[in-house]
Amino acid sequence: MYFKETDIINIVIAGTAGQGVITLKRLIEFAAQKAGIERAFGSEMHGLAQREGAITSHTRYQKQVFEDERRNLQSPLICYGDADLYICFEPVEALRRGIYASGKTTFVINDRTIPGVMITAGFERYPSIEEIKETLEGYRNGVYFMNATQVSLDHFKHNQQVNLIMLGFAIATGKIHFIEMKHYEEVIKEWLRDPELNIKAMHLGFEEGKKVIGSCDS
Amino acid sequence: MPIKDTRFTRENGRVLMLGNEAIVRGCLEAGVSYVSQYPGTPTSDIGEYFHQILDSEPEMHKYLVHHWAVNEAVASSSCAGAAWTGVRALNPMKHVGLNVASDALSVIALNGPKPGGLVTVVGSDPGSLGSHQEQNERFYAWMFHLPTIEPHTPQECKDWIKLAFEISEKYDLVVNFRTSTRSAHSRGFVNLEPIIKGKEKGEFIRNIPKFNSLPPHAINNHIRLYERIEQLRKDIPELGFNTEFAGTNKIGIITSGMPFGYTMEALEQLGLRDVPVLKLGMIYPLNYEQIIKFLQALEKVVVIEELEPFLEMDIARIAHEHKIQVEVLGEKYFPKYNEFSTGLVATCLAKIYGKHPNDQMMKAIDYFNSYKDIVPSRFPTFCAGCPERATLYAILKATNHLDNTVICGDIGCYVMSFFPPQECSDLIICMSGGISAAIGMSTKTDQKVLAMIGDSTFFHTGMAPLAEAVGYDSNFLLIIFENSWTAMTGHQDDVLRYLSKSGFSIEKICRSIGVQWLRVEDSYNPKKLIKSIDEALNSKGLKVIIVKRECALQANRWRMSQIRSLETQGKRVQDVSYFIGGCQMCYECARILSCPAIRRVETDGIEEMQIDQDRCVKCGVCYEICPNGAIRKSVINALEGVEVPFREL
Repeated sequence: MYFKETDIINIVIAGTAGQGVITLKRLIEFAAQKAGIERAFGSEMHGLAQREGAITSHTRYQKQVFEDERRNLQSPLICYGDADLYICFEPVEALRRGIYASGKTTFVINDRTIPGVMITAGFERYPSIEEIKETLEGYRNGVYFMNATQVSLDHFKHNQQVNLIMLGFAIATGKIHFIEMKHYEEVIKEWLRDPELNIKAMHLGFEEGKKVIGSCDS
Repeated sequence: MPIKDTRFTRENGRVLMLGNEAIVRGCLEAGVSYVSQYPGTPTSDIGEYFHQILDSEPEMHKYLVHHWAVNEAVASSSCAGAAWTGVRALNPMKHVGLNVASDALSVIALNGPKPGGLVTVVGSDPGSLGSHQEQNERFYAWMFHLPTIEPHTPQECKDWIKLAFEISEKYDLVVNFRTSTRSAHSRGFVNLEPIIKGKEKGEFIRNIPKFNSLPPHAINNHIRLYERIEQLRKDIPELGFNTEFAGTNKIGIITSGMPFGYTMEALEQLGLRDVPVLKLGMIYPLNYEQIIKFLQALEKVVVIEELEPFLEMDIARIAHEHKIQVEVLGEKYFPKYNEFSTGLVATCLAKIYGKHPNDQMMKAIDYFNSYKDIVPSRFPTFCAGCPERATLYAILKATNHLDNTVICGDIGCYVMSFFPPQECSDLIICMSGGISAAIGMSTKTDQKVLAMIGDSTFFHTGMAPLAEAVGYDSNFLLIIFENSWTAMTGHQDDVLRYLSKSGFSIEKICRSIGVQWLRVEDSYNPKKLIKSIDEALNSKGLKVIIVKRECALQANRWRMSQIRSLETQGKRVQDVSYFIGGCQMCYECARILSCPAIRRVETDGIEEMQIDQDRCVKCGVCYEICPNGAIRKSVINALEGVEVPFREL
């Protein structure tokens, strides 16, 4: 789909507390500034949303604003059905706030599950990955899975790079319009400790992501 | 996250900021010199940014003081004290914090902050996203005559907080800056202006009538307050808070804050570009001429605001008093509870304007509704290794799952006690409401009564009811969680940290107040804790158990940093891990302790519990409580390695 510079880009990032949702959101927004984006407005969750809870953040930007303010980005929340891209750190979290998705939405999902205490206690059921995939198929504009946690563990021996791997995976969809790889690299160098490691993780996610997307789309 | 964050130090430029960050930047540009607050979502991080600035720029201490106050009433009076020396003071709090601060603010507002300026930042929470309720605290504006500003974007947060200080000083009024969970934590571009250093020193000048609001001065100050607020009311159009979007439609809209954003995008979605919109940046007082002029061209006006109708009542009153024929709509179409969204506003406006919400949105809602029931719950819960979780486990064991027992909860991380599967809280009122409820309840029931409180809440308002409980020899058990942090709001220091340096402790406070039955326990030793709780509940009178164990998040961060530093010195460190073998699936760890680092897995049709090594913090509680000895401990480098235990409080 072709995007005009005045179009509003809408990205949902979903995961659970402590997975790096907010860091990823900041990186995209700061990179958007490097790319010369004129307006950005997006919401994130602090406070009670931590403590193992579900976290959703909304990233929104507009490369070029209209003269008429009525047509511009005004809310930090995406309207139901209006998300272009979902970046999900946990499979079931893709569905929890699925109301922002529609036929135009592309999903990138880390398929490592975090079941939650009610599942472990045997009081609730975690849907099977097949069930989740089948449900997301209803959206029809690309649903891609990668075990980003495993990729992080394999390459870095810990799970701390999952968010940068997911960023690379998301970039590979081509859905984060107007922002280029060099913009992310600049931001990572300015804002993150150990930038080399983080840039490496992002590129790894990008390469792995291209493979996943290529094999799904062919 | 930031390594070198220049957004609070550079003189100019365009940067991305959250609403709260922009408020702090605005305060620096306004030369604020005193800040006092009790942490509370969504305003806690305001204090954290001030701390970061003071840590990175030590010379700023001369011009800027930040205090984490013990409670909101203390913070408000502290700010008044500073303002009355002629400086600018900032007083952030959450919406329910305003209830605590209200006693002080009712008088401070009457007296007025002059010769200084006093601005409160009150973080509202429509949708109860980070609070135990979603009260509409805007009505305090009417009660105390607090001019109230509602920003929408981070740019407005920065620009308007500066204006708020100017208004406060010029009109001698306490100005309320009302944010919400959404406006506080949404990020956008902010154009910076130069920073001004706060006043290093001021001076209090005696003025008995102004600062002693007792008869006869109380009435005179009340009259003076009306004069001040009416003067401001007249001047509003010149202040630039309110914006009008012209249009020819006979149904207009008045809105403010975050609902303005939802409204504009909803109108665009409905294809309504001819609707006149009045965006109010100042929601109290309202300028009569401005409102009248807007209403006169209309047949109907829709007031779009979250929670109870506040603007709607005032606007209907203005229309009525000035005999304007306009129908005021709002609560008839919009819910009076929960947070709004573009979708919700579009759906309500569609009815009013006779339009259809767009297809994409309606299909999205329908499809989501078709599958949402398969999504399992994920409510917030205690972190892996949390000493409070382990204490709840001990309570459940000692009381045979709360048999004949009432448990009075409170505000802090342990507010999450009521969630399943532990469900270890029967009631929650407010900060320290649990102890107070237990005092009354224990006089009227023979059930066993147990109350819980954390260290920060204990200092906030918990000591007074504890003294009362001692005085009446109330028959209940109080458990005090001493974890050394204001953990729930993001680990601010609490006053205990400073007191403990001079040898003070909660234990000593309890003893001094006169608590006779007192034990100090460790929740990482659950068997001993269970015994103590059991003994306490079977003894008459007031009993206190202090559970002393650092917040697991902080304790684990500290331990990991110790391990890293030892390893970089080339030292070997003991590597402790827990694993499960021969699980009997008794669910003791999953249902009664319910640690999130434990997961249930199925391999070849056989179910068993497993410990996620990347999430376990090695507290060892599950190892202590497993009835079947199925949880094992392994220590690599046991002999030659250095042991790094959690630090003692």
